[in-house]
Amino acid sequence: MSEFSRLLLVARTDFSYFFRTKWLMAVLISLSLSDMLVTALVLGRMISPEYFSFLVPGIVTVGLFTAATDTGRRIWLALREGVVQYYMTLPIRTSGLVVAYIISGGLGGVVYSSALLIIASFAVHPQNILNAILLVPFMFVLATGIAGLAAFFASISRRGEIYWVYAQALQVSLVTVSTVFYSAKTIAQYLPGPIATIADYNPLSLAATVLRESVFSGQLLNTVVLSNLLETSLPLAALGALSYWVILRTLRLRGKP
Amino acid sequence: MNRVLNLAAFNIRVLLSDPTWFFLSWALFALQLSVYGSLMSKLVGSNLPNYFFFYSIGLMIIVVFESAEDVGRHFVENAHEGELPYFLTLPISRSGFLISQAMYGIANTLLKVAPPLLAVLFVSGNLTVPGALFALLALFLLGLGITGIMVSLAFIAFKAVDIYLAVLAGLSALLVRFSTVFYPLAVMPNYYSPISVLSPLTYGADLTRWFLGFDPKYLLNPVLAAVVVTAIAVSTLSLSARIVDKIIEGVKVA
Repeated sequence: MSEFSRLLLVARTDFSYFFRTKWLMAVLISLSLSDMLVTALVLGRMISPEYFSFLVPGIVTVGLFTAATDTGRRIWLALREGVVQYYMTLPIRTSGLVVAYIISGGLGGVVYSSALLIIASFAVHPQNILNAILLVPFMFVLATGIAGLAAFFASISRRGEIYWVYAQALQVSLVTVSTVFYSAKTIAQYLPGPIATIADYNPLSLAATVLRESVFSGQLLNTVVLSNLLETSLPLAALGALSYWVILRTLRLRGKP
Repeated sequence: MNRVLNLAAFNIRVLLSDPTWFFLSWALFALQLSVYGSLMSKLVGSNLPNYFFFYSIGLMIIVVFESAEDVGRHFVENAHEGELPYFLTLPISRSGFLISQAMYGIANTLLKVAPPLLAVLFVSGNLTVPGALFALLALFLLGLGITGIMVSLAFIAFKAVDIYLAVLAGLSALLVRFSTVFYPLAVMPNYYSPISVLSPLTYGADLTRWFLGFDPKYLLNPVLAAVVVTAIAVSTLSLSARIVDKIIEGVKVA
C-alpha cells in the first residue's frame, strides 16, 4: 500500500468517525435546523421578509464552520486520551497523518454543509444549481482552512478544558464579525472601518457572500471573492497543519507534547 | 452545615483558580453586544424599539443558561474522573452534597452575569439599585431552575455520556430558539408561540426585562413570570434532590 493510499485510509476513517458520532450529528442538525426554521423565520418577521433569504446562506456557512471545527475536537481528544500514541505506530509519515486530518475536516465541513444547502433549497429557491456544484471545491478549501485553525487551537491547548475556551472564542468572534447576519454595507455604515475590513476578509463572510450571490441570486461566480476565499483559507490550513505536525514530531522525539 | 460550606468553598476555589473562563465570558459578551447587538438593533429599527437593550438581557439569559450547563457538566466530569465516589465517602448528607453543588452554580452564575449586567445598566443609563437587585434575583432564580434541570439530566450521563451530550445540546437549541431570549412573543408566528410559553427561559427573560423597565406590552405578565420561574426553581431542585438521594449510590459512569 502506498503512502498516499494509507493517508486516504486514515482520512476516510476519521471522516466516517465524524458522521458516526450520533450525539454530534444530533447537535449539529438541531442547531442548524432550528437556526433556519426558527431564528431566521422570526428575525425575518422582525426585520423584513427578504432577511430570511439573506440569512439562510449564512446559516449554511455557519454549518460548514461548525462541522469543520470538529477536527479540533478530535485532535484534542486524541492528544488528551493518548490515542495519538497509537497513531504514531501506524505505517504512515507524520506529515501524512497531518494531511489526512485536515482533509477529513474539509470533507466533513463540505459534506455537512452540502446536505444543509439541499435542505435550505426547500426554504429559499436556488437560482443557479450549477454554481453550487462549482463552489464545492472552494467550500472544501474553506473547510480545510477552518479545520486547520481548529487543529492549531487543539495543538496549543496544554491544559485540560482550555480547548473549549478557544473553540468558543473562535466561533463567537468569527461569526459575530462577519456578514453572516448583516451585510457588509450595514457594518461599514455603523461600525469603525477596521471592523468592517476584518468582516470583509473573514472567510465566513466570503463564503456567505458567494453563496448569496452565485447560488441564491443566480449571478456569475465572483472570481475576486473566490480568490480572496482561497487566499484567506489556505494559510489557515497551513498554520493548523504545521502546528499539529510540530506536536506530533515532539511526541515522536520526546514521548510527550 | 459547616461541612456543606466547606465542600462548596472547595468547589468555588477550584472555579476561581482558572479566571480565564470569566474573562472570556465577559469579553465575548462585550463583543456580541457591541457588534451583533448594535447592528441588529439598527436593522430591527422601530419594529421593536430599544432592541439593543432587549438583546442585552437576552444575552445575559444565555450566560445564565451556560453557567447552569457548566454545573451539570462539572457534575458529570466529577463522576467521569472518579471524584464523585470520593465526595460520596465524605461525612455529608446527599442533600448537603446537592446544596454544595448548587452554591457552586450560584457563584459561577453571579460572577459571570453580574459585571455585564451592571455595565449594561450603567452604559444605558438604567442603573438603579432596586432594578439591578431584582434583575439579579430573577436571573438567580432562573439559574437555579436550569441548574436543577441540568443536574437531573446529568444522571443520563451515568448510562451514556453521548446521549447526555446530545440531549443537552438538543435541549439547549430548542429552549433558546423557542423562547423570548432574542425576540418577543408578539413577533413569533402563531405556530411557534405555544411552544415558546413552555420554555423556562421565556419567563426568566421577560421577568428580568420587566424589572429593568422594558416596555411591558412586549412582555408576559410579570406575576405569571415570577410564579413560573420560582416554581421551576423549586420543582427541578426537588427533583434533582430526589435523584441524588435515590440514584447516585453505586453509579458507574459509562
